[in-house]
Amino acid sequence: MRNFKTLWPFLREHKWMYICGLIWILFTDIFQLITPRILGNVTDSFQDGEIGFRGLLLYTLMIIGISLGVAIFRFLWRWFIIGTSRKLEYHIRNKFFAHLQTLSINFFNHHKTGDLMAHATNDINSIRMAMGPGLIFAFDSLFLSIVTISILLSINVKLTLLSLIPMPFLILIVVKVGKLIHKRFRTVQDAFAKLSDRIQENFAGIRVVKAFVQEDLELKRFTKSNQYNLDTNMKLVKVIGVFHPLIEIFASLGFVIIIGYGGRLVMLGDISLGDFIAFYSYLGLMTWPIMAIGRVINIFQRGAASMERINTILFERSEIYDYSDIIDDHQIQGKIEFKNLTFGYTKNNPVLKNINLTIEKGQTLAIVGRTGCGKTTLVNLLLRLFNTKRGQLFIDGVDINKIPLAFLRQNIGYVPQDNFLFSTTINENISFSFAEVNQEQVEEAARVSQIYDNIKDFPGGFDTLVGERGVTLSGGQKQRSSIARAIIKDPRILILDDSLSAVDTQTEEKILQELKKLMKNRTSIIISHRISTIKDADHIIVLEKGEILEQGTHEELLKNDRLYNYLYQKQLLEDKLESA
Amino acid sequence: MPNFHEEEILGKAYDSRLMKRLLKYAKPFWVYFLISIILLLFITGIQLARPYLIKIAIDDHINAYNRPYLVFDNQTLPDDLDEMGVIYNDKRYIRSDEIDITQFSGVPQNQIIYNKGKYYLIPGVIDTDNSFTVESINNQFIVKSGDIEYTAVPLDGTVLKVFREKDANAVYHLAIFFLCILLGGFVLNFGQVYILQWTGQKIIFNIRQELFTHLEKLSLSFFDSNPVGRLVTRVANDIQALNEMYTDVLVNLFKDIFMLAGILIVMFQLNPKLALYSCAVLPLVIISTVIFRIKARQAYRRVRVRLARLNANIAENISGMKIVQIFNQERKKFKEFDNINQSYFAATRQELMAYSIFRPTMEVISSLGLATVLWFGGGEVIRGHIQFGVLFAFISYIQQFFRPILDLTEKYNIMQSAMASSERIFLLLDEKEGISNPAQVEKLGQTQGLIQFKDVWFAYNEGEWVLKNLNFTINPGETVAFVGATGAGKSSIINLLSRFYDIQKGQILVDNKDIKTLDKSELRSKIGVVLQDVFLFTGNIKSNISLGNANITDKRIREVARYVNADQFISNLAKQYDEPVTERGSTLSAGQRQLLAFARTLAYNPDILVLDEATANIDTETEILIQDALQRLIKGRTTLIVAHRLSTIQHADKIIVLHKGEIREMGNHQELLAKEGLYHKLYQLQYKEEFDTEAELA
Repeated sequence: MRNFKTLWPFLREHKWMYICGLIWILFTDIFQLITPRILGNVTDSFQDGEIGFRGLLLYTLMIIGISLGVAIFRFLWRWFIIGTSRKLEYHIRNKFFAHLQTLSINFFNHHKTGDLMAHATNDINSIRMAMGPGLIFAFDSLFLSIVTISILLSINVKLTLLSLIPMPFLILIVVKVGKLIHKRFRTVQDAFAKLSDRIQENFAGIRVVKAFVQEDLELKRFTKSNQYNLDTNMKLVKVIGVFHPLIEIFASLGFVIIIGYGGRLVMLGDISLGDFIAFYSYLGLMTWPIMAIGRVINIFQRGAASMERINTILFERSEIYDYSDIIDDHQIQGKIEFKNLTFGYTKNNPVLKNINLTIEKGQTLAIVGRTGCGKTTLVNLLLRLFNTKRGQLFIDGVDINKIPLAFLRQNIGYVPQDNFLFSTTINENISFSFAEVNQEQVEEAARVSQIYDNIKDFPGGFDTLVGERGVTLSGGQKQRSSIARAIIKDPRILILDDSLSAVDTQTEEKILQELKKLMKNRTSIIISHRISTIKDADHIIVLEKGEILEQGTHEELLKNDRLYNYLYQKQLLEDKLESA
Repeated sequence: MPNFHEEEILGKAYDSRLMKRLLKYAKPFWVYFLISIILLLFITGIQLARPYLIKIAIDDHINAYNRPYLVFDNQTLPDDLDEMGVIYNDKRYIRSDEIDITQFSGVPQNQIIYNKGKYYLIPGVIDTDNSFTVESINNQFIVKSGDIEYTAVPLDGTVLKVFREKDANAVYHLAIFFLCILLGGFVLNFGQVYILQWTGQKIIFNIRQELFTHLEKLSLSFFDSNPVGRLVTRVANDIQALNEMYTDVLVNLFKDIFMLAGILIVMFQLNPKLALYSCAVLPLVIISTVIFRIKARQAYRRVRVRLARLNANIAENISGMKIVQIFNQERKKFKEFDNINQSYFAATRQELMAYSIFRPTMEVISSLGLATVLWFGGGEVIRGHIQFGVLFAFISYIQQFFRPILDLTEKYNIMQSAMASSERIFLLLDEKEGISNPAQVEKLGQTQGLIQFKDVWFAYNEGEWVLKNLNFTINPGETVAFVGATGAGKSSIINLLSRFYDIQKGQILVDNKDIKTLDKSELRSKIGVVLQDVFLFTGNIKSNISLGNANITDKRIREVARYVNADQFISNLAKQYDEPVTERGSTLSAGQRQLLAFARTLAYNPDILVLDEATANIDTETEILIQDALQRLIKGRTTLIVAHRLSTIQHADKIIVLHKGEIREMGNHQELLAKEGLYHKLYQLQYKEEFDTEAELA
């Protein structure tokens, strides 16, 4: 229950909805409990032979009236409590989402999307179940059984006690067998998961299966899983098959007692036939709450477990935030300095070592190197996706840790390696940084990044949807779109992280020319595998295993005749091969 | 399986074409279905018995007190009646239901009457259906009914016990009888559930077997175009959805029908007029249920669609979180999400509204039914046309009447999703096998390993030729290396030899036999394939070498592992050959996986070896082991290698240089280098590095 503390603010704000809702349940139950009494009274009137059509009409109307009352209060409690639980769901999901947004990239590297999705769907759902139906079941069954038992006692103590003898057994069965069912249900789910895994593995490894002619053996294995799935299901069926009839028997035992013993009491004049009928009906009302006990326990257990998992995420804090000594009025010009920077994602495993580098405002820096040499890490630090130690990275002479995070990122235009686009229109993707789409700006940015003509050719133009239900963009088109998305911000610093790899050389040339015009007086950082992309940069550094191996201009590096020259020669060969 | 992208598309609830096929799977089990249905018939009967038993208890016993008693004294009592009735005040009272009172016209009749919680004995008979009064005057009770007056004797518990002994016993027996029925019902119920569920499970077990077996036969091109996740969903989840159709719909449909029919029959049998009145609310029930179903379905669908959108949005935001944060657009994205979340919330509210209105409405309608029965039935009781117990039974039955109707409409939803699932399943089952064996297979037998490609043309997709007019011969025992840039068609050649794909033009021959005439299983068993990306199955090292083949002994496993140098790293594992391995095999390095794949291939002792060399970074030590193992593997076997390593190429008997799907050069290493053609360039680009880079960076 401690886990649910997270919900306090919401619950306090909506306490009246809950309190009223519980009151409506109370009313519903009271009204519900009147009907058997009426039937009892009708019976007695018949017995006494003193009922007339007027009396009958009165009773008839009373039954209709009461059912209207029950209906209204039922509607109300549904609306008040279930409705509020839906609102709670909405509220937690918003909270969860907003919190995810505050967490660092590091967090997302360590949490699988699938797991986070499970939290957002299953866990939030079971919390809602606990705070909605769970609450209702618990309260309703508690209230209904207390009142019913009191009424029964008022009719005849001995008959009540006798007819309630099966109840403790019933509760025992519901709780015990309920637990067993839950356990077997778990096994069933487990067997199903195993079956899925087996199928998944078989299809994923179908090449090996076929190459080694293992089809028959695989089928045997599958059959085993399939059989196991069937067996566990039947095991569950066995318990369920016993459970429901058993409950019915125990619930009906009360009726056996009423007929056998209650009938005798009527004949001896100890109770009236009306009491007998009322008793019979009230006992019928008792069965439901008892059956609900098992369910209530289950719902709350699952809700609590889910709440705990959600809390773990909600209590997670990002390590990237604005420190207290941030400088508010810093204007970013674009000078970047790395001073003896060393960085690693884990301790004792530096990815970047002793980087010393100054990029003047207006310069273009190019970074080359093999996969895994630390190029992207360098950029990640500049975006402060990860923290650097103080005194190692400066922008315009100010330590990056002192620059407000939002402000820093606002001034950087970033084109990532993986070209992530959202599944909205191209327009919205390009103007991602703005609240409103400015068509002129979007088109201008699209022209610079050489995607304008492609977009115009799409059936929906700039309003074409990207992704599953729209046009699927090619790798190059995606790259160019994300370039447009970055430059539309008019950033002081532009970073291209290997973002021209899928663009052909001619288009690349054009883009680079346009960018050169645009980025005059601004700082650019270009990471690339292709030498052709970067040869015109003001300064080129070659990274190898986290260190600067060599640096200079294209010509200087060629003369140097080390890795840069090697990579260059290799690419010349590749080009030749391509045209062979 | 996180398939939050897959939106549920619901179509028709009934499609005779699909239904016919679905029923075909149920056909072998018809006996079980029949038994299950028959059992249901009994179970329904038992469920309907309770109100009826209560009716009997009330009308025949509890309320039977007011039947006239014949009063005999010892003189007037005929001999054959001295076992009957009860003795009270030295007189024998025999109730009219024990004896035919018309035969004893001279015998005085007494009656027990009930008023305000008390029983009285009167020396005569009145009509208790008409109103009467009991007045207490000077310790005497006077009963007045119309003009008739009797002096009543109040009966206390002990006297009543005497009079009602037989009724009490009868009711007691009734209770025992009820208990027996319950126990019988318990057994029947369990039997029914068990048989039905077993049948359902067995059917979906069979469908699953069929689908899996079928999919297993399909060609690789099918798997290329169908994501694994989707196939898993079909075999696992979609088939699961059918279970409910076989159990809930197919059989429990009868339950609801039996129930409805049973209630109607009992009601009509009890009192046709009252039964008709009871049915008056039926149209209301049906209309409101149908309206609700339509509304609920719309609401449900809206909820599903919006939930799918919501989940897709969350998933997208999680994967795009980096971009969102870098572009500082958390607030904008949150607003977007909030909108979607709100629209989902609104949809759930609409759904809630539909339910909140419907359930109570049904309650009211049910009460209307009850009121109708009470009004008309009560009237009949007042008029003395029916007994009170009948009224009671009607009240009980009318309250049970609505359940089956509600349940019936629920079947619609189950049917709908079952139809959608079965459509998808049948679509897969109808998929053609792709690569099939010829009607008359040729035996390959002992294989020499002569391989010929004659004018081979091949495309994965029509028109996009991957291999163009390929011609080459590989002699038995030869090792041939295929080199070329990415996409040159090297891997395709490997795929074709094992007949994973069929060529469009030309011929591929093994030992002078066209592979299309061979049994593909036999062909594949002769060819050992080692792929670049080694796939490991969940299990242990042992099972990954033998692939679970019982013919490969532990001894053999160790032998082959030792032979391909895998033994060394396996011995270092905690559980050695029993070390558990997972699908992705993350605990093993790329090099170790290669060695394991070698061992696996060798264990099957193929005549022809096909190898796609790993390009992944492998540490030098393992690299040496791999090279050594490779040399041993290819010895004496016809070998085709997609080569990435210089040493492999140098050792090859023949090198085939592929470029854009065509053979450009052929020969051995020295010959080709001397040519200074394509191979020369490739060599400089891809293989020279192995020599140069180390020196370069030193």
